[in-house]
Amino acid sequence: MTAPRSDARRTLAEFSLPSEPGNERRAMERVAEAVSGLGLPERTLEKLKTAVAEATMNAMEHGNNYEPEIPVDIQVWHLENCLLVRIVDRGGGPPPSPNAELPDLEAKLEGVQTPRGWGLFLIRNMVDEMRVSGNPDHHTIELVIYLKGDDDAG
Amino acid sequence: MPANHLEASVRREPGGAVLDLRGEINGFAEETLSAAYDEAEARGPDAILLNFEGVDYINSTGIALIVGLLARARASKRRLLAYGLSDHYVEIFEITRLSDFLGVFPDEESALSEVSVS
Repeated sequence: MTAPRSDARRTLAEFSLPSEPGNERRAMERVAEAVSGLGLPERTLEKLKTAVAEATMNAMEHGNNYEPEIPVDIQVWHLENCLLVRIVDRGGGPPPSPNAELPDLEAKLEGVQTPRGWGLFLIRNMVDEMRVSGNPDHHTIELVIYLKGDDDAG
Repeated sequence: MPANHLEASVRREPGGAVLDLRGEINGFAEETLSAAYDEAEARGPDAILLNFEGVDYINSTGIALIVGLLARARASKRRLLAYGLSDHYVEIFEITRLSDFLGVFPDEESALSEVSVS
């Protein structure tokens, strides 16, 4: 795996976590610590933390089947104009659809749909960009927060 | 970071039952939340208020648990209200449209006031 190209690339954190329920909170706190020097607005930081937690939970559950010995790998980069968090699991098969439509809450309340299924929708609404990709060995989700420009999620 | 599992207690106030929630609302919270709701519902209140002042984390599984409570409240024609959410979680309740189906209030006083008016 290669880091994204940028003339001003800085790795802020790179770590792995076992796929155990609850570890998404460890992921979000470690990412928050890694970006603490960037001066993100509080609202942006809270949204980033939620996106990281949900993406990590998806990776642990759907990619790694909550098998503790299979890690989730997390990398945090400060690029020239953005912050990028990459979360990689070891799952095969097709990656989750990046089309995170608003779940049908009415159908969930009527019992027609499962009450679950909020993760990708939440992630998509917490960051400026969500990129999803996969190959036979990995799923990768990238979360992007613009640090300049008009499209700041914060 | 140590897990901060959910604790819940129920109290009766004029106009409704209040669920005081403390900790995290995630997959570990299902049993506690359901038992507390059972206890609140058993008293037959017109409204049940969820007090989130002591809640520091809600994930997508927690959102699903709240959807489940909302479905139970609707089925029994009971109002479900929420108060004490941080600004971040108020925004999440808006994005998910949860706030279209349950009343979201800043504090207990305003939530109880709404219950007593209606």
